[in-house]
Amino acid sequence: MSKVVVITSGKGGVGKTTTAASIAIGLAKQGHKTAVIDFDVGLRNLDLIMGVERRVVYDFVNVINGEATLKQALIRDKRADGLFILPASQTRDKESLTKEGVESVIEELKSEGFEFIVCDSPAGIEKGAYMAMYFADEAIVVTNPEVSSVRDSDRVLGLLQSKTRKAEQGDVVKEHLLIARYSPVRVDEGDMLSLEDILDILAIPMIGAIPESGSVLQASNRGIPVILDDKSQAGQAYSDVVARFLGETVPHRFLEVEKKGFLQRLFA
Amino acid sequence: MLNTLRLSISDIPKISGILQTKINHTAQFFLNSPLVLDCQDLGDKCANLDFSALYKVVKSVGFVPVGVRNVPDDCLKYIKQSEWAIMRAATKPSRKKNTGKVDEPKANRVEVISRPLRSGQQIYAPEGDVVILHQTSSGSEILADGSVHVYGTLRGRVLAGVNGEKSARIFCQSLQADLVAIAGCYQLLDDADTELKGQAAMIRLEAGKLIFEPLA
Repeated sequence: MSKVVVITSGKGGVGKTTTAASIAIGLAKQGHKTAVIDFDVGLRNLDLIMGVERRVVYDFVNVINGEATLKQALIRDKRADGLFILPASQTRDKESLTKEGVESVIEELKSEGFEFIVCDSPAGIEKGAYMAMYFADEAIVVTNPEVSSVRDSDRVLGLLQSKTRKAEQGDVVKEHLLIARYSPVRVDEGDMLSLEDILDILAIPMIGAIPESGSVLQASNRGIPVILDDKSQAGQAYSDVVARFLGETVPHRFLEVEKKGFLQRLFA
Repeated sequence: MLNTLRLSISDIPKISGILQTKINHTAQFFLNSPLVLDCQDLGDKCANLDFSALYKVVKSVGFVPVGVRNVPDDCLKYIKQSEWAIMRAATKPSRKKNTGKVDEPKANRVEVISRPLRSGQQIYAPEGDVVILHQTSSGSEILADGSVHVYGTLRGRVLAGVNGEKSARIFCQSLQADLVAIAGCYQLLDDADTELKGQAAMIRLEAGKLIFEPLA
């Protein structure tokens, strides 16, 4: 049974691609055959975050247009067995994505035995985002602790329940909330929305909160998804998210302000 | 509810555009609702219309295409080849007409929404009330010819009695709306002189003014 999971948010720059990369790697590391598709045609980034930008020969649009086979376009990840990346085209625009084309690619991935098909949605609510969410069984909505991001996520949640195939069939897309760039210190200082505020507005179950961390930027620039950095809090938080996604009960971490020890305070 | 689309043009891209606009305004309201084409205004121009293509268009925007009515006889054969059913106009006067009017039940239609109303979503309950069992979000809009009941936090805009019904009321568990209106009389909640913000409240219209009262 394959599952199509869309990583979406509405607003840009909140961490969709970072999340898609880390979750895809996490699922593959747990032994699930996983494909991750970049739907951000024209502004492709997933290949960079995954560190495979120099291995892109064919892309998603080539496959849709029948210029390449799916096998030719899929890039095998060297760090996680059973993980394949389908990069977006940088030279086309989102109009190249047709519903029939996207469906045929997803169906072919399913028939190839992929257990999870992770769709990395572009920002916005236009065609690219619509195509990324249309065939989804589950959605991970990424939001940052600030009002505009939360409102955009709310808008996307509305679309998930009206403009997806599941919605058209009278079914529902299962929703998960992932809060990225969460900083307990800044919440305490009143600069950021708290988890309670966000959950009160969005009213869907939270699958995890990723702490604000310099290691995320570092990981992105080096093309190594942050989940592989098991020393960083963000990496550990993503591992927890993957475990929860697979049905395990894992307590939430990194939500409270860390208390500084005596020596740390002395040398601060 | 059976929606009727009275065709006056045979230009499919144009029809598609109009339907899409309609759906975009109130996506959830029309989603998966049946649609009948009425070709009375179109007349002989039916012959120029590609009914199969129109079927696909209607389906793709989210309606359920049902049938066609009031088509000229010489087009019947042509339409039969498409996916549409042909609905014949009733020729015999129905018995009810002869025996005088039978009273229709007067009760208002109630639109019940059992999921959160998200930013950008709009609900319109024509000729009736709307009951929302969840919260509504900032950026959402509820419109009803009758009253509005929200069994959760009310955010966003809420307009009751949009057809001018002054007895319409608004009820909510936690009043955090941006704007409230009854029968065209509107007020921004920030401008409203009420201590009920964030609390269970009822809003009614009296002598052209919105009155905020606690819900006991």
